[in-house]
Amino acid sequence: MATPIPTESEINAIVGHAFPGGVYRIDHWENFLLTGCTGADILPGGMVHPVVLFHMPILGCGTSIGEMFALGKAESDFSIGIESYDWEMFIPLREDVSYNIRGRVVSADRRKTPDGKPFDRIQFQFEVAQPDGALAARTTITWHYRRGLGS
Amino acid sequence: MKVEAGDRIPEWIMESVSAERMRTMAAILRDPNPVHWDRSVCDALGFGKRVINQGPLGLSYMINMLHVWAGPGCIRRLVMTFPKVVLDEDRTAARGLVTGVRTIGGERLADCDIWLEREPGDRPLVGSATVALPQ
Repeated sequence: MATPIPTESEINAIVGHAFPGGVYRIDHWENFLLTGCTGADILPGGMVHPVVLFHMPILGCGTSIGEMFALGKAESDFSIGIESYDWEMFIPLREDVSYNIRGRVVSADRRKTPDGKPFDRIQFQFEVAQPDGALAARTTITWHYRRGLGS
Repeated sequence: MKVEAGDRIPEWIMESVSAERMRTMAAILRDPNPVHWDRSVCDALGFGKRVINQGPLGLSYMINMLHVWAGPGCIRRLVMTFPKVVLDEDRTAARGLVTGVRTIGGERLADCDIWLEREPGDRPLVGSATVALPQ
């Protein structure tokens, strides 16, 4: 049975949804494994590889990739397409620092592909702040939730 | 460091995208999507028995390129799109081109087009970066 397509107003209604927020500390083991996955050597001075800016804001503000899929009523894991990732970096991230993280849905609207297939474009924004409050990074994730794939 | 518009950034090569690294990455990301670790799922989706690299991992190859070029901590902004998937065992090159140089708040910044390339013209990831240049 095909997954029902949410109404456009249901999708619009998630704009402003705020995740719980929280604190995330990158331990050396995590930075070591993460950096290894990229094929690079560990960075000097306890600097964290910037690729952390995908998952750290998501997990640090108390959500998950799975919950973000569910929030937009994804038909399946395979129905998600990436439009873009926008990462602004103001202060390099370091191991063993407890960063404060908050995040929310900043836009959600229904669109159509050039060949008329519906999808919902949902944009999430996260901010990563140092313990003193200084903004270290801001990330914006834009995903497409494709609809009607199973019908 | 002398940099001007039109300069090419030295490429950074990932000789073979690794399924094992994708599995580690999936665990770190808590990413439940099986396309990154289950070959049978990818086969059913028409990709053959090759798993799909996580978007951030492909992006990381361009970060590595920029770090080798301008030093760790140099990146001020990255905007990335993902027109095609990268599969395990792909050979990919991170490449870039400086499009402009400006100074803001005493910091010299290079604006760059960056991309990941398999074969000439086959660019699964395409984006832009702003990089602080060493004095």
